[in-house]
Amino acid sequence: MTDTDSDSEAATDGGEEVRADGTGIVAPDDETPTWRERKERSQGLSRLTYEYFERARREDQDLREESTYVERDVLAFPTWPHELIRNLSITFFFVGMIIFLSATLPPHIAAPADPSTTPAIILPDWYLYWSFGLLKLGPLNPEIALLGGQKLMKDATYGVIANIVVVGFISIVPFLNKGAARRPVEQPFWAAVGVFGVTFAATISALAVKNLLPIDPHLLFDLALLLPFVTGFVTYALLKTMREGYMFSLNRRYYRLRPPK
Amino acid sequence: MSLEPADESDHEGWMERKDLTPIEKGYLTVLVWLDRRLRIVDYLEILENLYYKVNLQMPKSHTEQYNLDNKFWYWYPLYALGSLSTIAYVVAAISGALLGFYYAPAAAEGACDIESATVAYCSITALMTDINFGFFLRSLHRWSAQVMTAAVFLHMLRVYFTGAYKEPRELNWILGIVLISLTMVFGYTGYLLPWDQLAFWAGQIGVQMSLSIPLAGEWVAQLIFGGFTLGQATLMRMYILHVFFLPFVVTTLIAIHIGIVWMQGIAEPH
Repeated sequence: MTDTDSDSEAATDGGEEVRADGTGIVAPDDETPTWRERKERSQGLSRLTYEYFERARREDQDLREESTYVERDVLAFPTWPHELIRNLSITFFFVGMIIFLSATLPPHIAAPADPSTTPAIILPDWYLYWSFGLLKLGPLNPEIALLGGQKLMKDATYGVIANIVVVGFISIVPFLNKGAARRPVEQPFWAAVGVFGVTFAATISALAVKNLLPIDPHLLFDLALLLPFVTGFVTYALLKTMREGYMFSLNRRYYRLRPPK
Repeated sequence: MSLEPADESDHEGWMERKDLTPIEKGYLTVLVWLDRRLRIVDYLEILENLYYKVNLQMPKSHTEQYNLDNKFWYWYPLYALGSLSTIAYVVAAISGALLGFYYAPAAAEGACDIESATVAYCSITALMTDINFGFFLRSLHRWSAQVMTAAVFLHMLRVYFTGAYKEPRELNWILGIVLISLTMVFGYTGYLLPWDQLAFWAGQIGVQMSLSIPLAGEWVAQLIFGGFTLGQATLMRMYILHVFFLPFVVTTLIAIHIGIVWMQGIAEPH
């Protein structure tokens, strides 16, 4: 660098020409001071603060090393900032949607409660239809020959137990399905189970409102139990067929970079 | 396990070795005094990080880092459903608190000139017709509740189909199921509050359902509906569940749910 000493103006920024159009921006190289170095160069009280905090951090670090606490790494990307920045922008759009909906579609209020007149249609809110539909599975309640064709439990009890079984199954899914697979194509069976569940939720909800639907109730009952199997099998077959191609590109792009455990 | 501070952390000895001016000495003494009590170094580190990160690029997302599907952003709205339901919950909480100023949970005969209307029913018709923005407020509460429920269902589907419930996250999946159930209970109790025909007969179904639970049925009906026929006791219980009991429980559980997500990070999509 002795040659550039004569040219004192150029030496102040490392002897390189400065371009103002933004094309000269390059990634930091070895000569670019890191933030730590920039901080270390400061003077006076800030320098003292820096030194003290380095000591304090060192103290914490020593304590941590002496303790039995182990930091584990988790396979994930951070909630902040990646996820939250995206989510906030999207959710505020949806808040606007809620306000728009409530301004344009105000809710209905029915006639006052009257225990003496039963309305033609009794329904809970839409999100309880699936549960309400499970109460109507009475025809599946087994009749046991030993009891002389009697039912072991009331149809309503059977419905409540069906609810418990459905929720119970959903909650043990993570203990049944383990491993690193994430995409539906990687696990056709579980994707098929999911599609089965979604279809069943839809059909069982339709069963709950059967007196509003222009379909023969018996046909609807059969469809409610058959359609989920149909969609489940179709999903399984499709994903099995697609699997090879997808897994090829997944292996190429993803697993080579981050092999599964 | 007892830990003795290492010699290196003898800050006073360090200060004496430093040969400081009175100003520096006073400053350091105050700093060390405060830091020993409040451990400001931790918070300062956060501020420092923020300061140095402001002008930097956002770190690459997972998909950018591994050069995955560059159309991945199509799926972002599905990844925002958890936040959406939280925000809808907040909107419902605020509008619900405002509705609470006008609502009276009483099944006695109301003062409005609608036949067989109760006090509860009349308070809602008054809200809808007499109060500025009352109809909008009720509408907002109703729609945010509907959106929250829908978002929670879709959130669950998203989590299922991206396998985000897997290994380190089983507990959060179960917590999520508890939350989705409580959301539906929230919706149900709120559905009953206007005490109109829909509410009354939905309550009737509720009583029948709890009565058909084996062994504990009658006890559950007594506890939740305050008897086997619907009346003031039912309305009061639904009200207290909706505005007192569930808000505390659900808010706490949502905080834990999000806290666990924060600690574990977002399950990597790929």
